[in-house]
Amino acid sequence: MEFKEVIGRRRSIRFFDPDRPVERAKIQKMLEAARLASCAVNAHWARAIVGFRDDLTEDQLNRLKTPVAGLNTELAPVHIHFFNDLGVVNRIQGSRLKELVDVGALAPTHGWSHKFVDEFVYPQILKPMTQGPGYPVMSSMDVGVAMCQALLTGVDEGLGVGLVTLNGAVLKEVFKTPDDWIPLSTILVGYPAESWDGGGQRPRPPFEELYFEGEYGRPFPRDPAVVEELKQAKMIQEPAKPHDPKRIEEIKKLAEKYGLPM
Amino acid sequence: MSMADSTGERVELRPMLEYAAVVTWLEGLKQHWGGDPANDDPERLPILEAFCRFVNRDPDQIINETTMLKDGEKRIRIKGRERYANLINEFQDTVEGSRFKKGKWGNTVRSFLIHNGVLLAQGMQGGME
Repeated sequence: MEFKEVIGRRRSIRFFDPDRPVERAKIQKMLEAARLASCAVNAHWARAIVGFRDDLTEDQLNRLKTPVAGLNTELAPVHIHFFNDLGVVNRIQGSRLKELVDVGALAPTHGWSHKFVDEFVYPQILKPMTQGPGYPVMSSMDVGVAMCQALLTGVDEGLGVGLVTLNGAVLKEVFKTPDDWIPLSTILVGYPAESWDGGGQRPRPPFEELYFEGEYGRPFPRDPAVVEELKQAKMIQEPAKPHDPKRIEEIKKLAEKYGLPM
Repeated sequence: MSMADSTGERVELRPMLEYAAVVTWLEGLKQHWGGDPANDDPERLPILEAFCRFVNRDPDQIINETTMLKDGEKRIRIKGRERYANLINEFQDTVEGSRFKKGKWGNTVRSFLIHNGVLLAQGMQGGME
């Protein structure tokens, strides 16, 4: 699948086929994609634990579930739980920045050297940063980027994926994570039991309300020719319609199949 | 185990359609699924009535016990919801018949709560073979 179509085809899948297992190789590909994500100061805060639903006890699964995400979690055979390893910056102390210097990604042309990292970047910027109140938020953004790459790779592999937030305290207990790992979101993975398009691309706010040029309040102009090009590339797809009879019928059938309330 | 009140008296139920929570439920069903929810499934209202007798509460009381007003906003009572989730499971278990029938009876009551704004996702209830 072409990259733009992968973006266009992604849906948050909420009806997974509970009995169809996911190939381990596809899970690995999702993790490989996460590892290659862009990351500030090359720290790599993202950690993931792959949990197979059927390896959990009934009690563990029930405690992990939240009211909103409970059914999806029960249906998805694989859960990839992402964490933020807050301790990584002070463990590596700038060493991964120096790796970037060594391979020429960071060069003296831009002011980078081992000495700069050792004497300035780590002690005067990174270490104090880890003590600031904004540190968990800032570093979690990078985990989000890694998760996004995993998510899209799952779509490219023909899987259904969906992001949920489970009970973090239970995640830490069940998966025995270090104290300084913050539980973030979980990617539910499986084969969709619903149609892949889920009734169409989900509603989004107007482009002009989200993106600006030059200053706040001046919308970035949306060129219809670009929109058309992206439609051709299947990135922008047919939007989901309210009360679509076809989608309603599909949900009714899924509700009957899995014994769900309507 | 059904719930009787402290005096042991049984609740007297009016016709289901006279309860505001039932009207809300049917309106929600119609808005979401279309059709004629009051009539398109002849078991729907009798199932809710059977549950009301099982818990000895009328439909509006059930919603009042699972929601509350706080600072002028409607909130879900977490303990109330959990209690009713368990009661629905118990109710479902009392139903004689197939796994599908049990699931349908339980899910009918869950639907009543869901369309009254009480989130109640209890997972798969058997379903079709």
